[in-house]
Amino acid sequence: MRIAYFSPMPPESSGIADYSALLVPALRRHVELTVVRRGTKRPPRGADLSVYHIGNNPDAHGWILDALRRAPGAVILHDFVLHHLVAGVTIGRGNGHGYLDAMEREHGVVGRLLAHGVLDKRLPPLWEARPEDFPLAREVLALAKGLVVHSRYVADHARAAGYEGPVVHVPHPAWPAPDVAPADVGGDPLIGSFGNVNLSKRVPQLLEAFARVRAEHRGARLLLVGATSPGFDLERRLQRLGLGTDGIVREGYVDERRLWALMAACDIHVSLRSPTMGETSGTAIRALALGKPLVVSNTGWFAELPKGVALKVGIGEHEVDDLATALRLLARRPDVRAAMGEAASALARGPHDLGKIAERQAAAFERIAGGAAVADSVLHEVSEAAAGVGIAAGSAEASEIARRLSEVDLGG
Amino acid sequence: MRIAVLRPQVPFARGGVEIFTDELVAELRARGHDADLVSVPFKWYPGARVLTQAFLWRMLDLDEADGRPIEMVIATKFPSYVVRHREKRVWLVHQFRQAYELDGTELGQFGEAPEDRALRRQLQELDRIALGEATRLFATSQNVAGRLARSTDLVAEVLPHPPQQLPYRTGASEGFVLSASRLDRAKRIDLLLEGAALHTGFDVVVVSDGPDRERLEGIARARGLDGRIRFEGRVTADRLAELYATCSSVYYAPVDEDFGMGPYEAFRSGKPVITTTDAGGPLDVVHDRRTGLVVEPTAAAVGAAAAWLHAHEAEAAELGGAGKALADEVTWDRAIARLLA
Repeated sequence: MRIAYFSPMPPESSGIADYSALLVPALRRHVELTVVRRGTKRPPRGADLSVYHIGNNPDAHGWILDALRRAPGAVILHDFVLHHLVAGVTIGRGNGHGYLDAMEREHGVVGRLLAHGVLDKRLPPLWEARPEDFPLAREVLALAKGLVVHSRYVADHARAAGYEGPVVHVPHPAWPAPDVAPADVGGDPLIGSFGNVNLSKRVPQLLEAFARVRAEHRGARLLLVGATSPGFDLERRLQRLGLGTDGIVREGYVDERRLWALMAACDIHVSLRSPTMGETSGTAIRALALGKPLVVSNTGWFAELPKGVALKVGIGEHEVDDLATALRLLARRPDVRAAMGEAASALARGPHDLGKIAERQAAAFERIAGGAAVADSVLHEVSEAAAGVGIAAGSAEASEIARRLSEVDLGG
Repeated sequence: MRIAVLRPQVPFARGGVEIFTDELVAELRARGHDADLVSVPFKWYPGARVLTQAFLWRMLDLDEADGRPIEMVIATKFPSYVVRHREKRVWLVHQFRQAYELDGTELGQFGEAPEDRALRRQLQELDRIALGEATRLFATSQNVAGRLARSTDLVAEVLPHPPQQLPYRTGASEGFVLSASRLDRAKRIDLLLEGAALHTGFDVVVVSDGPDRERLEGIARARGLDGRIRFEGRVTADRLAELYATCSSVYYAPVDEDFGMGPYEAFRSGKPVITTTDAGGPLDVVHDRRTGLVVEPTAAAVGAAAAWLHAHEAEAAELGGAGKALADEVTWDRAIARLLA
């Protein structure tokens, strides 16, 4: 089957570009796949199915949404909350009316009024202040012939938004852990947090919790890797908490090799998030591949990780307390870290195995491309046979047939 | 216990699964169970017919029969395990192989059109759902269990079943290699015939029948093997047991076979088995130079193995004896005890 594949690709700096770079070679063992050039508006001639990677970043996905509008296809929905994407392809292109319309389509007159408030700068941007309340995913859902998602969270939200097409849950593939020497960072233990340093990664809470842990574990160090988001005053926060350079190790954006070396050096990985857009964390997946214990937020995809690989911390009032408790436990119990690390490796080698994921994703594409025709054939033949013996639509017998068909995913 | 053994039936065809399920019912009855066979015709083409025919099983109500509960069903091969039952045990003979390892080969069924691709995937999904419902899941061989794990992530316990009942005995070798497989291309009897053309000293007896018979007879004629190859067609149980008892070795080398009763029948007769490295299920019990010879799937290698076993009677008897000890462990008592536990 021929697939036209719309995705950001390296050297674009995007987690989804990394994801596609990992997956495309494995997918090509199952399907004939053409990665279209950035900016392509239509699928190449002869494609059986177009596959669109949709995420929340308008720079990476705006052109892909444009193409999806021209030729519906399968959507790999990386984030359920797409407000930032929609704002980018409307307001970001000087089309404020488009934003008003999008908000009205999904949230009625109230949505339109709120959008006016944003355009008039009377309200803070909703994609920053309340994105989860206004996900703006419906246009993408309406265009999708089928969805591939990485989490039950996104699947459930798509269904709750009224999506009736096929939704296939295919976990994020794990990278094979590279043969890389751990960076010489120090720390006993070394706790790592990777990704942008900002509020939604819960860095303030992490710093507070770490300060408490360090009061008891003087050798502990916290490694923060990633760019600091504009407006986030890391230095001031560190000063306030009395965290100096002996406790905090800071690196900005790093290349892939350095990233793996730093990740390999960590004893504990922290991957926190709130609000969540429904995304899967590429760095958390890398931590699994390295066999590292995780501490995560108990939300979205993160909440779906098996208990054995991650300690989960609720968002809210007790977040710092719970986070400190989790870090303390892992700091003083190398045996627990080791057991969690083994479970993480097993998870990466099992359900997140690249070969298996590629097979499942190819299966999803094939079902999305031809599944409706198969379902039609089955339903036609079954209903014809039923009608032939006098079973009328809507009868108890017809309902039972429909129920049985549904049980084995044959429609009905 | 009241038990229904489930068997899809291709009308007018009879093979290993039919023998196996008939014997399973008889053995269950012999142990005091109220067992019966439930059979539904199966046709797997054209197009989506394979799904609608599989779906027939889903509509069966086997919770009870004639007012009395059926406590357990034992499904065997696709699509019998699509049935619903609170105590669904599956003793898997094979899945619908065209949707798996045979896809893209000359034995495959599905083309490259999106509808064909989707149909294949739908069958895989049906397997995941239906087999996932099993209260216990067994596979007749490691090969079947391995395919299942690779395709669905479901784990099956390997539970081989005894071969068909014959008056097995061990006799002196009369210098021929026996092939008792159905005459079908996938059984690769041509490798044995071509091997016989390359190596002298042994004869070949081919029993059974099938669509490949004419071609195989043509090969025998073309290679000038008329005096050394004998096609006996279908034979009685007594005759088959006699042939097993008096052969020098048994050839059994299908491509990626599910289970294969051939080696067990050979071993019950104290005879070594020649098989190939890609034979699948038979490799569970045919171990190179322990219970037979496992060779590359070439005529030269098969011919050389047959000639060696013919020329080394004592070693052949030793291999056959080891095979017999192994086959004697596979009994209905043990199989049924595990199946019903």
